Amino acid sequence: MKIAITTNKGGLDDQIADRFGRAPTFTIVELDDNTLEIKNVYVVENPGSKAGSGAGVRAVQKLVDEKVNIVIGPNPGPNAYIALQQSGIKVYAITGMTAKEALNRVIEELKKK
Amino acid sequence: MVSSISQLEIVIASGKGGVGKSTLASSLAILLAKKYYLIAVDADAEAPNLHIALGIDEWDIVEPYIEGRIAYINRDKCTDCGLCADACQFGAIEVRNGKYYVNKWICEGCYTCSFVCPVKAIFFERDIVAGHIYVKEKTIYGFPLVSSEITPGRPNSGKLVTEAKNKAKKIMGSKKGLILVDAAAGIGCQVISSIAGAHAVILVAEPTPSSLNDLKRIHKLAKHFGIPSMLVINKADISEKYREKILEYARRENIDYLGDIPYDENVPRSINTMKPLLEAYPDTEASKAIRRIAEKLVKIIDNISEWRLKHLPAKIEPFIPIIIKPGNNIVK
Repeated sequence: MKIAITTNKGGLDDQIADRFGRAPTFTIVELDDNTLEIKNVYVVENPGSKAGSGAGVRAVQKLVDEKVNIVIGPNPGPNAYIALQQSGIKVYAITGMTAKEALNRVIEELKKK
Repeated sequence: MVSSISQLEIVIASGKGGVGKSTLASSLAILLAKKYYLIAVDADAEAPNLHIALGIDEWDIVEPYIEGRIAYINRDKCTDCGLCADACQFGAIEVRNGKYYVNKWICEGCYTCSFVCPVKAIFFERDIVAGHIYVKEKTIYGFPLVSSEITPGRPNSGKLVTEAKNKAKKIMGSKKGLILVDAAAGIGCQVISSIAGAHAVILVAEPTPSSLNDLKRIHKLAKHFGIPSMLVINKADISEKYREKILEYARRENIDYLGDIPYDENVPRSINTMKPLLEAYPDTEASKAIRRIAEKLVKIIDNISEWRLKHLPAKIEPFIPIIIKPGNNIVK
């Protein structure tokens, strides 16, 4: 399973970006499907951050390309919202903390299921 | 000082134009700057005018904003076959004396012409100055102003607004403070960009049917981002019926009502003198009303976390897309 987190410079110690489509980077975490342990962490640039318009859709396209299942970040804008729904990527709307803190919360939620 | 959220971002928006966003923004900025470290941002890149309300005619920093691309045809390679003109969806390719040229004002930089060109004669001019970001480090009222302006004909000012807001955050650095954003009218790209990432929205409405309609539209956008809203009714005495309708909407939607501003002929007079209302006519009825609104706002800002929890908008109803696949019936 892959979880993407909207971040500024990238990395798990970074703060969650306060915007979805124009977040500078996505920090992508690969989890073991069974144990939910972190297997790999890498940072990709968000093409939406450089887009004049259509930022949200470009951001979601990147997430689809990366085969992300869940994204953590602020509430997405109208176009990103529709694109996320169509692509089946789940959104956990969390801001105001570091990527790591948010990731741990989401992993806890997933373990309950 | 600003509680719990160290850098607070409040946006003034209205949907409908001409209801008094910049008038309110300029006066509120002056009042709030006495209490907080404040930076004002004019996020109406298409028609910026907060600087006019604040009497600014010279900027300290002017930065070009680079965005987009424009096609051009290399005349040495072009065989004037006209395929590009047929392919262009925007009608941006013109024929002059049997030769093909790109009209810079119409070209959207979509690359289509370059894909169809059989001799690869179409190139792209990048580094297009699509706008500017302006900074006044200290207005005569003491706070900085960041403004943005898009070059006419250049599309998409959402990114420019983002950069203007980022500029304000950069000026603020690690200090605690308040960023007051004056958004554009409408609910387009730049307004979405103004609202995204904000902590609260001040909705300005006037008691008219069109303002109520546009208020609902802009509020839908704020709800979309999960941002709580406040309401100011400007020119409140022009229609009691619509004032009541707006208030009813606010009650239903959990929008915090900050107060009324009466219709006041000194408002247009103050705009004509390039002074905020509060400076030009401090004792006029509208100024008194704005002061009362600012007092309420200060109370909200000082308890912003609690206030946000209390006024968080209800989740918007999920959008169920209708997917049409070739050969299939419509599936919901």
